[in-house]
Amino acid sequence: MTTYIIRRLIQTVVVIVLLSYVCFSLMTLMPGDPVELMIQSNPKITSEDVARLRTLYGLDQPSYVRYFNWVKTIAAGDLGYSRTYRIPVSELMGPKLLNTFYLSLASLLLSILISVPLGIYSALHPGSKADNAVNFFAFAGISVPSFWLAIMLILTFSVYYKIFPAGGTFTIGIDENQSWDYFWDRSKYLVLPTVSLSYQSIGRFLRFTRSAMLEAMRNDYIRTAKAKGLSYTRVIWGHGFRNALIPLITILALSFSSLFSGAVITETVFAYQGVGKLVYDSIIGNDFNVAMVSFIISVAMVLLFNLIADILYGVVDPRISYK
Amino acid sequence: MSTNEKTKVITAEQRAEMERFQPMWKIVLTQFFEHRMAVIGLAVISFFIFVALMAPVIASITGLDSERQNALNRYKPVNSYVTVSTDEREAKVTEFIRDHAEEANSLQAELIAKGLVQPPRPEDALFDLVGKDPQETLKILSQVNGEPALHLTKIVNNFESHHWLGTDELGRDVFIRLVYGTRVSMGVGILVALASSLIGLLIGAVAGYYGGFIDTLLMRLTDSLLSLPILPIQIVIAAIDLNKVPGLGFLVGDENQSIYKLVFILVLFSWMTVALLVRGSILSLREREFILAAKTLGANDSTIIFRHMFPNVVAPMLVSVTLGVGESILWEAALSFLGLGIQQPTPSWGNMLFNAQDLMTEAPFLAILPGILIFATTISFNYLGDGLQDAIDPKAIRR
Repeated sequence: MTTYIIRRLIQTVVVIVLLSYVCFSLMTLMPGDPVELMIQSNPKITSEDVARLRTLYGLDQPSYVRYFNWVKTIAAGDLGYSRTYRIPVSELMGPKLLNTFYLSLASLLLSILISVPLGIYSALHPGSKADNAVNFFAFAGISVPSFWLAIMLILTFSVYYKIFPAGGTFTIGIDENQSWDYFWDRSKYLVLPTVSLSYQSIGRFLRFTRSAMLEAMRNDYIRTAKAKGLSYTRVIWGHGFRNALIPLITILALSFSSLFSGAVITETVFAYQGVGKLVYDSIIGNDFNVAMVSFIISVAMVLLFNLIADILYGVVDPRISYK
Repeated sequence: MSTNEKTKVITAEQRAEMERFQPMWKIVLTQFFEHRMAVIGLAVISFFIFVALMAPVIASITGLDSERQNALNRYKPVNSYVTVSTDEREAKVTEFIRDHAEEANSLQAELIAKGLVQPPRPEDALFDLVGKDPQETLKILSQVNGEPALHLTKIVNNFESHHWLGTDELGRDVFIRLVYGTRVSMGVGILVALASSLIGLLIGAVAGYYGGFIDTLLMRLTDSLLSLPILPIQIVIAAIDLNKVPGLGFLVGDENQSIYKLVFILVLFSWMTVALLVRGSILSLREREFILAAKTLGANDSTIIFRHMFPNVVAPMLVSVTLGVGESILWEAALSFLGLGIQQPTPSWGNMLFNAQDLMTEAPFLAILPGILIFATTISFNYLGDGLQDAIDPKAIRR
């Protein structure tokens, strides 16, 4: 088990390093570099200045040399300086990561809480009207564009009914120390983003729960358990659901990456100050240091959660052994 | 099925019907048509494909232009009429008089003779006429007989355009943009699904057939691509300046540049599921007797893969292509919505939504419509895929 985890950790690190290099070289291909922006803002700049600045920033060197220089500064603990926010990247990341964490956790919890009971119910009543309705609900979930759902939610609940704020993270000027008010305020801002981010995963989880449960209930050991005279709940939860859990955890693990992709869109629509919006804004705004760091952190997070989910398999399914 | 296994009493006729031999495709077809939602989905998709193919015809019938801007008539509500400005109308009349001087003269004379217009000077008669409301102009023209009047009527008809679904932020007709958007979005979706399934088919087949090191390498690649947060990477690639990529500079300035780029990005990250699926099927096919027979007869690798294995993976692939189209349409919309996909003036459902964001409280309809179309198409493809899955899955064959 330990060797397995260590091997996977090494693999993860290798993937992250490779990706960071790929991403670095891709970003050098994006339009505009820091010096070009300086040229735009300073009409008096001479071509000698430009050449000097390029040498100063190392922009005249090939991308792999620049990559190694960048890695060196990162390894020394210097994450660089954000050009748009005018603060060190290290100070920028903390609160944004926390915000995204709240959003993802809330939507993951919401999707599990809704999809698992509904999925089990419809699997136990296949072909019924409720099953068809649940099916449609699930299909709608995987088919609805999340950003459109977000716009519709804003139109309904903040423009028309004015129940929830249309966007943002918290009310500006609220006292962060008054814990209860602060919590309440944050929750209000979380509701719409959470709903719009969850619906897609609700749809996906629902379909998986339903088919996994259907599959599990078809097994011979279910008949045996029923024949033994076990109670209905025991058969469903102890024998059926326990076995349906395994494919469910697979899809849960894979959902981290899509959850993060969704977070980019949701956070952008709701102007929610998280890492997803940061990734988007920094890439669009050519904020190189922020883009690289936030990109690597988000990839690392997703890969790490995948690893955790893989380890969890072993806990749920004793048949799996890691060698 | 398993839950209501009640014994059904059937007549001898029904029994004979059930026991009769049926070819595979017939079984699949019957089963498919039993899935009501899938049939509805198929109908919706056929409709959209028809609209996409007929887009130029629809444009010429309605006389609308998807790229014609009209700054004076932005954000018009649904079912509104827009009249061309007086200047433009007079310019058209000047053109008419210049090109068809005789017709114009006779028409002018007739109008004044019948007292339909009272111009200060006789040569202003036509200008006076078109200066009125287009509906009124048409009414007056209908009282005049003859070829010249008909000719002018045709011109006057163009003075007023009917916008069933209103106009957008640049005064363009929303209906025709949605029609052309169907063409772009569906086209991209289908193209991406087909291309990525071809790539997935090749990679999956090679990995599954040869096994060993190639398999490990390809599958690690597939797994790591599957576990990545795709959207941030897509954003990075979408933001690339093609001028800086050696060998791709020729694409710059092409009006379809953003479409090519988008298709490439989407294909890059959507072949993995097909590859896994094909690899799985090939692994099990490899052990089957008919493959052994083909090998014994001396068939080479490509013959075995293409002639003997591919026909067996086509059916499950069909399902994943169908589901892939829906997913690609969603991705296209998402990237275009972030402003990184298909660029203006080419309309796509996604970038129409992107533009609608600006004034979404004043013109919510602009945001609602493209979303509904995306939703309808995607859910149709998903139901169609589900129906196909049920229909071709041998385990689910109900007879």
